[in-house]
Amino acid sequence: MKKYCYIIYMCILALAFGSCREQEEFANDPYGNFDALWTNVDQHYCFFKYKNVDWEEIGQRYRAMLRPEMSASALFDVCSDMLKELRDGHTNLISGWNVSRYWIWEQYPKNYDERIINEYYLNFDYRQASSIKYAILSNNFGYMYYGDFTGGIGEGNLDNVLAYLASSEGLIIDVRDNGGGYLLNVEKLVRRFITETIHSGAISHKTGPGHDDFSEPYDYYFEPIEDTRIKYLKPIVVLANRSSFSATNNFVSIMKTLPNVRIVGDTTGGGSGLPFSYDLPNGWVVRMSASEITDANGEVTEFGVDPSPGCKVDMTEDEIAVGRDAILERAFEILEEMINQD
Amino acid sequence: MKRLCAIVVAIVSVIAMCAGTKTEADTVVTIRPVAKAFTVDYGGASVLDTYLSPIKYSGYNVRLGYERLQAMSFAPEKWVMQLELGVDYANTKNPAKDLTFHTLMIDAKWGMMRRWYLMPELQIYGGGSTQLRGGAIYAPANSNNVVSVKAHWSADLTGMVVYNCKLGLLPITFRYQATLPLVGVMYSLDYGESYFELYEGNHSGLAHLSWVGNRFALNQLLSADMHFGNTIVRLGYRGVCETSWINNLNTKIFRHSLVVGLCGEWISVYSGSKMSEKTRIISSIY
Repeated sequence: MKKYCYIIYMCILALAFGSCREQEEFANDPYGNFDALWTNVDQHYCFFKYKNVDWEEIGQRYRAMLRPEMSASALFDVCSDMLKELRDGHTNLISGWNVSRYWIWEQYPKNYDERIINEYYLNFDYRQASSIKYAILSNNFGYMYYGDFTGGIGEGNLDNVLAYLASSEGLIIDVRDNGGGYLLNVEKLVRRFITETIHSGAISHKTGPGHDDFSEPYDYYFEPIEDTRIKYLKPIVVLANRSSFSATNNFVSIMKTLPNVRIVGDTTGGGSGLPFSYDLPNGWVVRMSASEITDANGEVTEFGVDPSPGCKVDMTEDEIAVGRDAILERAFEILEEMINQD
Repeated sequence: MKRLCAIVVAIVSVIAMCAGTKTEADTVVTIRPVAKAFTVDYGGASVLDTYLSPIKYSGYNVRLGYERLQAMSFAPEKWVMQLELGVDYANTKNPAKDLTFHTLMIDAKWGMMRRWYLMPELQIYGGGSTQLRGGAIYAPANSNNVVSVKAHWSADLTGMVVYNCKLGLLPITFRYQATLPLVGVMYSLDYGESYFELYEGNHSGLAHLSWVGNRFALNQLLSADMHFGNTIVRLGYRGVCETSWINNLNTKIFRHSLVVGLCGEWISVYSGSKMSEKTRIISSIY
C-alpha cells in the first residue's frame, strides 16, 4: 500500500513540474533590458516575413553598442534605433520620458490642412456629432470628417449625421490625419454603407514564439446595420493620406471593396497589425504588431492601401497657398463622374 | 374468508402498533450542526502571465471567504460535505514599480469527504470536490493584450486532518487541508490571439482539457480555531499556487496569506421538536 502511495505521489510531482515552466528572467541592466526587448520582439512580432530583416543579425549589431555603464537615455536610443529597423508605425518603445516611433507619414507630403477645409469649403459652418464633423457643401455633396477612431460614435450619432446628409447627391468621408483607434468603430461605420454581408478581411495570430508560428487566417464579415437605422448608399469618396494609419488603414481597405466607393488622395500609412504590449525589467514598455489582419483579398496592408485607379492626388504648395484642397477638388470630380455613370 | 381476513388485519395492526411504539421509544434523533466560517485573507501575491508580460509582478492580495461544513444525512459519522465561496483581489507591481496588474477572481467549491477517527480527538478526511474559478488579470498599460481572462472547472482530490485539543482551558481545533485539482476544463486564448478576433466570431480552441500535467494548482489551509464559548475565532495561513502551461503561455500565481475569521456551529431546531437524551449531535469538524 505504501509503495502504491509513493508511486502516485511521485507521478503527481512529476506531472506538476510539467505545468510549472521556468520563465526566462533578464537582469535590470543595459544588457538584460536589451535582451528582454529583443526577445519580446523575436517571439511576438508578426511581420518578420514581410519586412525582410534578419532579426538575429540586427540584435547582434545593436548589442555590440551596449556598455555596462551607459545611461538609460543612451540605452533608450540604441533600443529605439533597433526597433526602427522594423519600419513599423505600431512598434514603439515607451519610457517615462520618451516614446520611440517610426512614423512613415513624416517622409511624405502632408496632404491635409484642416484650416483650408474649415475656411474655404465649410466656411466655419458645420455640425459636430460626437467625433464627426459634417456639413452639406454648396455643390450639394455631403462632407464628414472623422479624425480619430478612438473617438466614440454612437448609433444615434450616426443616425443623426446620415439623416442630415441624406439629401446630398454624394458623400465625402475624410479620414486624412486619422491615426487610428478602435476597430469596433470601423465596423460601426462601415455597416452604414452596405446592404449585404461583406467579407471584410482575415485575422491571423501567433500560436508560438517561432517566426512562422501562425494560426490559419480567420475570415471575418460585417453585416449591414438593421433596417430601422439610417444607411447611406449613394456614391461615396473616401479621402486618405499617409497619416491614415492603423484602424483607418483598415477602414479604407474595407471601403475600397464596395462598388459605390472610391479612395482619393495618397496611399494610407499602413499599420495592419494589432499591437500588443510587453514590459521590460526597467519598466519600459514595448508595443509591437502582434496579430496580422489582411484585406478581403488576403493581401497584407501593412504598407498601406493605394488610392483607387486614377485617384492618386497630392496637394501642392501653390494650391495650399490659395486655399485649394486638390484632394477634395478631385473628390468632387470623381463624385460627378460616378453620379453621371449612374 | 371474512374471518381469515379479520385475523390477518388484526395481526398486521398489532405488529404495526408494536413497531410504532418501539420507534417512538428508541429512535435516536441525529442533529448535524452546520459549521460556518467567514474569513478574510491578507498577504503577499505574485503573478506571472505571459499573455500580458514576461515579467513576474509582486504585491498584496485580499480575499473574502465563506465556508460551510456539515455531516451528511445518509452517514453523518462517516461523510462530511464542504462548500466554499470566495472572492479575491491581488494588486501586483512590476519590479520597477511603475506598472500594475489587477487580478480579480471568484470561486465556488463543493466537496464530500470520508472521515476516519484515528483517536477521539484526531480525525482525518479524504474525498473529492469540484470547483469553478474565474476572473481576470487586468494590465492597464497594455494595448490589445490588456486583460487575461481566467476560467476553469475542475474535479479535485481533497484531504484534511483535524485535531481537537485544549491549550490550558481554551479548546482549539487545529486543521490542515489541501486541495489538488486533478482534471477539468480551462479557458485560454491562444499565444497571440486578440479579443477582437473573438469578437469577430473565432471561438475555436478556447476550451482545453486540463490535468496536473498542464495545470497544477494546490490550495492549502493551516488553521487554528479557538473556541471562546459559542464564538470561534480562526487564525491561519493559506497558501495557493496556480500554474499552467498551455498554448505556449506560462501562468504562475502564488498567494501566501494570513487568515482571520469568525466561525460557529448552527443547529436547525424546528418548532415543536425537543432535544431529548437520545439526541446525537454529529459535528463536522469540532
